[in-house]
Amino acid sequence: MKGMKAIVIVTFLVGVTALVGAKQPLAGHPPAPQGGGPRFDQAAVERGQQLFVAQCGFCHGSNATGGQSGPDLIRSVLVMDDEDGKELGEFLKVGRPEKGMPKFDWSREQARDVATFLHQRITAAANRGSYKILNVLVGDAKAGEAFFNGAGKCNTCHSPTGDLQGVGSKYDPVMLQGRIVMPRGRGGFGPRRGRGMGEGQDLRSFPTVTVTLPAGQSFTGLLLLITDFNVVLRDDAGVLRSFTRDGDTPKVQVKDPLQAHIDMLSIWKDSDLHNMTAYLVTLK
Amino acid sequence: MKIKKCLLVSIFSLLFVPFTLLAQGPLDPSLLLKPATDAWPTYHGDYSGRHYSTLKQINLSNVKGLTLAWIHRVNLNSAGAIIGGEGPDSALTGGGGMEFGGPSIKAMPLMVNGVLYFAMPDHAFAVDARTGRQIWHFAWKTRGGIHIGNRGMGMYGNYLFFETPDNYVVSLDARTGKERWHKLIADVKQEYFSTPAPLIIRNHVIIGMGGDSLDVPGWLESRDPETGEIQWKWYSTPRKGEPGFETWPDEYSAAHGGGMPWQPPTYDPELNLLYVPTGNPNPVMAGQSRNGDNLWTASIVALNPDTGKLVWYFQCSPHDTHDWDATQVPVLFDGQINGQPRKLMAQACRNGFFFLLDRTNGKNILSKPFIESLNWHKGIDEKGQPIRDPEKDPQIAGVLVSPSSDGATNWPAPSFNPDTGLFYVGTSQSYAMFYLTDTDPHPQGYGAAERGVGGVGNYLRAIDYKTGKIAWKHSTLIGAQGLLSTAGRLLFGSDGAGNFVAYDPLTGKPLWHAGLTANPSNAPETYLLDGRQYVVVGAGDSLYAFVLQR
Repeated sequence: MKGMKAIVIVTFLVGVTALVGAKQPLAGHPPAPQGGGPRFDQAAVERGQQLFVAQCGFCHGSNATGGQSGPDLIRSVLVMDDEDGKELGEFLKVGRPEKGMPKFDWSREQARDVATFLHQRITAAANRGSYKILNVLVGDAKAGEAFFNGAGKCNTCHSPTGDLQGVGSKYDPVMLQGRIVMPRGRGGFGPRRGRGMGEGQDLRSFPTVTVTLPAGQSFTGLLLLITDFNVVLRDDAGVLRSFTRDGDTPKVQVKDPLQAHIDMLSIWKDSDLHNMTAYLVTLK
Repeated sequence: MKIKKCLLVSIFSLLFVPFTLLAQGPLDPSLLLKPATDAWPTYHGDYSGRHYSTLKQINLSNVKGLTLAWIHRVNLNSAGAIIGGEGPDSALTGGGGMEFGGPSIKAMPLMVNGVLYFAMPDHAFAVDARTGRQIWHFAWKTRGGIHIGNRGMGMYGNYLFFETPDNYVVSLDARTGKERWHKLIADVKQEYFSTPAPLIIRNHVIIGMGGDSLDVPGWLESRDPETGEIQWKWYSTPRKGEPGFETWPDEYSAAHGGGMPWQPPTYDPELNLLYVPTGNPNPVMAGQSRNGDNLWTASIVALNPDTGKLVWYFQCSPHDTHDWDATQVPVLFDGQINGQPRKLMAQACRNGFFFLLDRTNGKNILSKPFIESLNWHKGIDEKGQPIRDPEKDPQIAGVLVSPSSDGATNWPAPSFNPDTGLFYVGTSQSYAMFYLTDTDPHPQGYGAAERGVGGVGNYLRAIDYKTGKIAWKHSTLIGAQGLLSTAGRLLFGSDGAGNFVAYDPLTGKPLWHAGLTANPSNAPETYLLDGRQYVVVGAGDSLYAFVLQR
């Protein structure tokens, strides 16, 4: 837990997310939910989907987002306001004949199943944390290899037969792409910000600091915090050392082993990134 | 007089007479028309949104003597609170923003006649501004909704107004905390949730709302302070036949196009114009069902506050696909451009652009990026609007974009200081990968996924409003942050590591700081009370008040 706190703070140094930004989302809308939310009876969802596709899909589309003549039901206020198929069931008994929507003689259970299917679809649309990233392997592996050994200068630090051996089996392509850009913090596409960030990560990828006192004594360790007023590190023996800063005293030197990745942020072309992903995936 | 009052208070306390008998009183509406000194009568302190105070009792030369006057830690326990709301009793156990990392004061407390009034999700409080002690507590039984934050209250005479996560506007009697009425604004089942602080203009209570997990319309409305009845409603996307409708493919996409106005607006009483910054379009990051500029989303619009009619607009992000709403403060001030006095408006927008407009007509004077990492535009068009690079729209295989959806800055208030001519704003240079996940011609909700991949540094920046040039920048651990500058040549903000800091507004040099239990979560405010200047800031679950040593 202590270690995690250190990592969280250190991660801020590369501007991933500020301390408060991590705890108190800034945006007008909240971060993606971490699971939780309403749970649906999966059997009911499946029964509802079958019935929906068979009887409603022609007009409303098989995924309920609208079809030739029927509206998008993911955006239907009637459906959103429905409780457990009650309002929907009442509505279906009458239909909307003036608009060509027939009535349906469904049982209470059938209406409930279809409603459960639709509510599940609405929840999935609203829950961006559950969105599935599609195919990121669109690049040219050969071009990626050329970039690795050429313009990207990746081979300055990395080798396909050394540290990257088997990296294509270790991570799925999306995770791999994230780690190409930033192999720590959210860059690994691991746990989302603020919750378990950095957990299980290799501490060697985090910045270190050397603090040199006016008398010449110096301390080096993992950088835990640096502000205008303080610098805090944890040395190799696990001891936390905290110093007051007053301008340039004591002397502070921060070293970030991932500086090359930070510098690359403004250089990457998306095509190079896609090619690199395609290449590293081949390193099985 | 002073001694008499103190004595009275002591006696009352001894007799356990409720604090509600303390000196409280109605808000004098004329306070809203001038920069606040002995009050903080509205979210931004005054109508201009400058977050600047003419007070200088605390100043560059004595700020080192600033010391703690009191801490008020909120108590969300509903025992002893006045209860309202339509939800079940079981809903009384939380609120405050608990599920978003703990209770957090994002409101700017109103300070009127010695009393602070502020709200948090499902809670409203009155606190004695002299002592930091609670006067009353109102707790709301919620029906649900996202409890991410509450920006505070609006005040009209003795009436208070605030919004709830389940989309009610609630009016309280400021003297007692008792409810006068509550009115439903929007449907929580459509994923609406309400965070703004109502703005009072004459007899208009101006209310916005948030929410865009689903593709629903956004609007701003005005209500009568006495009855709560609706006076007008302005939709942030055009209906058929209205100008701007041509920037949407059809009626359906416009009507589901979002644009939630969730930042409290600013107002120019002379021009009688209300300046409303609007939210992003919907679906949020998948633009294929809404080709066009998507007016009036991600825009600044000027409305007539008596009718809700649109007077002019400026769009900050035409056809946004990165969740860069334009709901940052439109800051109003008068200045000189090419030697001519001008009525101006400046905004540091979430998309990374600093915009300077003529606030009489919305004409653009200056558009300039205020972060170096910005990588999504291909120049500026003839209206001063950034031209987006479509290649940086979310794609299936991912694109690397700066800033991330959290933006170059966000809702926390910047500050404009007329003494220095500098616009102060907390900024972030984040990067994120954006992946299109919904390839349907009619995508839903966000339609794309985003993954943060670090950044190249957060800074507190000072922008020269005439040129858009960065006068200075100072490294911080936080990006967007709430700020206050004063005539005492001080800029109050934070370093992102829990320190509340006074900076020199001319250089960015830290002059004074205090370590709090959390990083400041609102913007600092200041006022004069009994002849002493107070600086108050919210940090997590507590308010901190600072004064000079005597």
